[in-house]
Amino acid sequence: MIGRILTIGLNTFREAIRNKILYSLLFFAVLVIVGSLAFGALSVHEEVRLTTDLGLAGMSLFSILIAIFVGVNLVYKELERKTIYSLIPKPIHRYQFVVGKFLGMVLTLGVQVAIMGAVLQLVLLLQDAELSGALYRMMALIFLEVIVVTAVAVLFSSFSTPFLSGLFTLGIFLIGRSVPDLRRISRKLKSPAAALLLDGVARVVPNLRLFYATGSDAGGGHVTVHGLFPDWSYVASAGGYALLCVAIALMLASLFFSRRDFI
Amino acid sequence: MSRPVLVVERLAKTYAVGFLRKKVHAVVDVSLSVEPGEIFGLLGPNGAGKTTTLKVLMGLVRPSAGRVELLGQPVGSLEAKRRLGYLPESPYFYDYLTGRELLVFMAKLFGLPRREARRRADALLEQVGLAQAADLALRRYSKGMLQRVGVAQALVNDPELVILDEPMTGLDPLGRKDLRELIASLRQAGKTVLLSSHILSDVELLADRVAILVRGRSVDVGPLPELLDARTLSTELVLTGASAELLAAIAELGHTVRRSGDRVQVTVTGSDAPDALVDLCRKHGASIAEVAPRKESLEDVVVKRVRAEGEQRERAEAAR
Repeated sequence: MIGRILTIGLNTFREAIRNKILYSLLFFAVLVIVGSLAFGALSVHEEVRLTTDLGLAGMSLFSILIAIFVGVNLVYKELERKTIYSLIPKPIHRYQFVVGKFLGMVLTLGVQVAIMGAVLQLVLLLQDAELSGALYRMMALIFLEVIVVTAVAVLFSSFSTPFLSGLFTLGIFLIGRSVPDLRRISRKLKSPAAALLLDGVARVVPNLRLFYATGSDAGGGHVTVHGLFPDWSYVASAGGYALLCVAIALMLASLFFSRRDFI
Repeated sequence: MSRPVLVVERLAKTYAVGFLRKKVHAVVDVSLSVEPGEIFGLLGPNGAGKTTTLKVLMGLVRPSAGRVELLGQPVGSLEAKRRLGYLPESPYFYDYLTGRELLVFMAKLFGLPRREARRRADALLEQVGLAQAADLALRRYSKGMLQRVGVAQALVNDPELVILDEPMTGLDPLGRKDLRELIASLRQAGKTVLLSSHILSDVELLADRVAILVRGRSVDVGPLPELLDARTLSTELVLTGASAELLAAIAELGHTVRRSGDRVQVTVTGSDAPDALVDLCRKHGASIAEVAPRKESLEDVVVKRVRAEGEQRERAEAAR
């Protein structure tokens, strides 16, 4: 069972590499280096802070965009190119196909985040910065958020077109990043119905702020790479939450996918 | 009597398409059974429901009604999937893979260990004549080569039942001949083959039994000799050295005459032997180079059934 999932996953990874998606990294790396040098020149004794902030924000943004773009096409492309016709008749369950494609995508994004992280570290080392553990925890949180967003993209693409799936996923991402704000607003609203609705949305949508390491509100405390950044136990609990979100999204995606007719 | 490999009973599939969910009846009423070790042809014009029927068998679409049993198992069961091979119509594969990589990937989906998968892939590439192109990316394959690698992936698990949807599409005459031989060799190896095609001459050469589908219904199912009329439909004679006087006499008898240089082709319709014509030719000193009786072909049967269904439909609509 696992073997077939891994076979599909590794094939998805191979497709990503051969379709040169990873080459977008080069663009990112150049952006970070050029950006940090330019901003470093503008700042006074804040080169390292700027490079860290810009680098991590860029990593997060690029990874999320790639996750949405590739995630929504992951299943649809199989239908559009009709490659699914020769796969489904093989001895696999449809959920194995969905999970396999997802894992292949996670592996691809993992490699991307790792390379982006390596480029960022290189730039920091060039600036004589001291690399702290917080940076690695930060990268782990970025990766966890990317995994959740990918699962959401796969969920939407299991029953919708790439364009609509992209819009939905982007919407979930933006709402997910604002979950604590929605909860706060819902408590202040005078209309009970509106408050209930907002609170409901905040409960259903994954709380992506947990992975937004340059923001605030994680674990009730302030979260920043420059301040009291949460420790590995926080990253682990965020990982547990991410796994839960992924499991729910993939279960729903498998359910929708198993009911589809491949005309 | 052995148990059928495939049983389809009163299968129907209705799609809801478009924004208004308009209903399309792709398959209305198809029943057939395929016995072990036979080559079974699924025939019919475009839009008859052949591909939809095969997609139901493969678990790609869910039936709206009816019963389907594959190798004694319900459709979609992993046990049945392990024992069958399928070539989709106009197959598309991951074009970033090479032919060998595709077959290894497919073999691994059947649970074959890597080494065994590679050995099997190489043997199949050799069998379908693609050994030279084993390491070429599929995006560089021609349509005929893709069809061949498609057949190879359908055989990667050494299946008991092989289902081929329009396997001759895109193949040149040599490729078609090779594929016919391959399919015949599958029968010799004890496999069962279900073949959908609109190239009827190929099916006629291969199939033991056929089902004819028209507008989503199976209108004829049976052994080829039973479906084909054994009577002679017409006889064609090729004459040389025919005089103008002879040709005028033949035309008077009401036979069709076609002239090509010195050769004259005369078509005598009906099942009667053309004895009178032969006597007439000899009397006028013409040589008879060829006498060829023409019997009903599978194409004639299919065309007849399609027309009959069309007329029946028109009558039913007129009666409404």
